[in-house]
Amino acid sequence: MQFCRAETLEAAFEALSNWGADGKVLAGGTDVMVQYLHGEIAPKALIHIEGIHALSAVSTQGRTALGALTTHRTLGSMPTLVARHPALAAAAATVGGWQTQVKGTVGGNLCNASPAADTLPPLLIADTHVTLSCVGGERRLPLGEFILDRRSTALAANELLTSLDLEPLPEGSAEVYVKLGRRGAMEVAVVGLAVRIGFSEDGVVDSARIAMCSVGPVPRRIPDAEAVLIGSKLDATVLDAAGEALTAAARPIDDARATAAYRRRTLRGLLGSAARQCQEQVQR
Amino acid sequence: MTTESFIHLAVEVNGTSRQLSVRADETLLETLRVGLGLTGTKEGCLEGECGACTVLLDDEPVDSCLLATAAIEGRRVRTVESLSTGEELGRLQQAFLDHGAVQCGFCTPGFLMTLTALLEHEPAPPPSDIRKAIAGNICRCTGYRQMIEAVVAAAGGDEVQR
Repeated sequence: MQFCRAETLEAAFEALSNWGADGKVLAGGTDVMVQYLHGEIAPKALIHIEGIHALSAVSTQGRTALGALTTHRTLGSMPTLVARHPALAAAAATVGGWQTQVKGTVGGNLCNASPAADTLPPLLIADTHVTLSCVGGERRLPLGEFILDRRSTALAANELLTSLDLEPLPEGSAEVYVKLGRRGAMEVAVVGLAVRIGFSEDGVVDSARIAMCSVGPVPRRIPDAEAVLIGSKLDATVLDAAGEALTAAARPIDDARATAAYRRRTLRGLLGSAARQCQEQVQR
Repeated sequence: MTTESFIHLAVEVNGTSRQLSVRADETLLETLRVGLGLTGTKEGCLEGECGACTVLLDDEPVDSCLLATAAIEGRRVRTVESLSTGEELGRLQQAFLDHGAVQCGFCTPGFLMTLTALLEHEPAPPPSDIRKAIAGNICRCTGYRQMIEAVVAAAGGDEVQR
């Protein structure tokens, strides 16, 4: 296997063109190295992009722009990001331990497309778009169209995910990420749920976004559940109905962490808790 | 026939500049233990779950089992061997001994490196921050409490109430 150190975007694009599907982009390595060492992937070249400084840039003018190399540590601790994207910050702070968070990148987390990716639900409720770049140019896709299936994305072999842009939390809105796990550290989510709710001045829900992970092959938004909340004041009957819509949309599996039935049973309670937290934060 | 290509790079290890020649898929853990004979860093799970292989890369703790050595050209690595001077243990190491924070000892080098980073970032961390910092290190013997007491003591703080 070859090791290509790309220090510029041009060098990365050239390596991607040369190696095609035989090349594997390496950023922090917290997923790629595990997969390589376990024999799950066998690339002919690792294309190391961590040295491309432009990919670590963060901008908080207008929509938030995150370079693909933004680490989980930065997402979870940079004050302007924590203020604009509290659910994303909370989710990033639960990905592995300190060791994982300083190496693992948001771009890597997206390209890995794990059903349990903690950053995906909070990114989905922030209307995230991704920019994919190659020698000839670039294209911008809604995140929901980038993740195609379990561990499958729209990224072409010659493309690099270079940045993300997100809508910051608007005035009068709140968002939370609730993660159900087994031990409170080094957790792969049993269920992850991100909720962003906007309220009018009299406390009526005027916008709602709900996304979940670990309950299907692809983390995604659930419009049926979102629609139930709009126009309500989050009464118990409304939350129950939204929880039912969420449960109906879930496609969980049995695995080492939990059964599918257990995951389904938790959704209603998690949604109720998340929605109440949003309500309390806005009232405060 | 396949020819293996080696990557040449310079890395600072425990204050000394080293010229390394490594395979593309060689991990820093292997380079340290096999290439440089620094066997204080331990191999645990080999998948970034246990923290036994933790070393400091430019002052941040990382799992050396998941780090390609070829990816760290020009960077600074510190291992558990850097904490003592000859026979004299570092402050945190001595506090671990004094507080019974070492039982089988296999996880100890990883904990020492994570906690060294913590004390450098935050000289007097409260127990809650200590617990958060070691979320990525697993110990199956001590139950962690003695380690937290050791860190508080090494930081010059009051004894933790049991």
